[in-house]
Amino acid sequence: MERRQESLARRLKAGDRRAAVELVDIYYERIYLFLRRLGHSRHVSEDLTQESFLQAWRHIGQLRDGAALNSWFYRIAANASKHYWRSRRGKETAGIEGFETTGGSEGGDDKAAKLEDIGRLEEAVAKLPIKQRQVVVLHYLEHLTIAEAAESAGVKEGTFKSRLNRALKSLRTEMGS
Amino acid sequence: MEEEKLKKLFSELAEKTTEAVRPGLGDEIKGQIPHRLVPHRKGLDTINIIIDLRISKLTAAAAIIITMILCANFLGGRASTGGGIFHDGVLMMRYFLTGARVSESDLSAARLKYEQLVGQGREAVYYGEGIDRQDSNAVLLHWKVSEGEYRVIFGDTREKTLSSEELIKLQAAMLQKKSK
Repeated sequence: MERRQESLARRLKAGDRRAAVELVDIYYERIYLFLRRLGHSRHVSEDLTQESFLQAWRHIGQLRDGAALNSWFYRIAANASKHYWRSRRGKETAGIEGFETTGGSEGGDDKAAKLEDIGRLEEAVAKLPIKQRQVVVLHYLEHLTIAEAAESAGVKEGTFKSRLNRALKSLRTEMGS
Repeated sequence: MEEEKLKKLFSELAEKTTEAVRPGLGDEIKGQIPHRLVPHRKGLDTINIIIDLRISKLTAAAAIIITMILCANFLGGRASTGGGIFHDGVLMMRYFLTGARVSESDLSAARLKYEQLVGQGREAVYYGEGIDRQDSNAVLLHWKVSEGEYRVIFGDTREKTLSSEELIKLQAAMLQKKSK
């Protein structure tokens, strides 16, 4: 995987158009979901996904090495999201438009209780301040390592960890335990 | 809530927060790939950073100018007006924005030069604030280079070596303008 990313990054830097198509195939769904999980509506997430790719074409020269491809792209998307929130400050609340859930009606009381817990966690994540929400989404929902997630958020690992701890503390409080 | 339970809930939330992407979005993005993917040229990086930071052009211009002044001061490449870096920055901004031909910084620099020349015992004349600031041919400072030759700094900071006759003509024109 790492080798593939390295080769992709090298080809992108060389201006290979097919590599750009490959980049879209790999990332467009991931980035869309990342933006949705940050609390953007479907429409805005689509726009911001497109914006992220436009930024990526413009900043190909900043790609350092293959290993950084993941965090480089998440960082672009995170910045697009940040600029969007900044421009819409106070005009939009995160997490208004829910996800289209698939299935979930079957099962007994245990299943219902679990779904309830997940629903509460989703609400609690949506209530977090943007920076804390971002670290939670990057690490726990996008499954990036701490190092990758910290680079994506544009902060040092130490800062990332303390932000994550604060977020987890708030989530625990919000969920009442 | 225990760590493990929370992690499990997160992984289930990740599954729950998965939805199908609109068909065609990927193709739309692919359609926007530029025909020529060109990595940044170094010189454009600053401009692109400014665009990315989304700060106004005026703020960006001020930032670039102040940085240039800082570099110039540190490297000793340019004499400051003595008013400090911020003051220099303001003067340069005013110069660029208003297009004023003779700015305060020009006057200060010329005065400094005049003082240096006098200190060296040279024959120098400084016209200072009295000159017409709109006239780029107005003589701001001149000093004797050799017999019958004068080095002149004009209002628009041009420098030229003139004969004594040419200098007299310029001085006469300045006097005429003043008397009007």
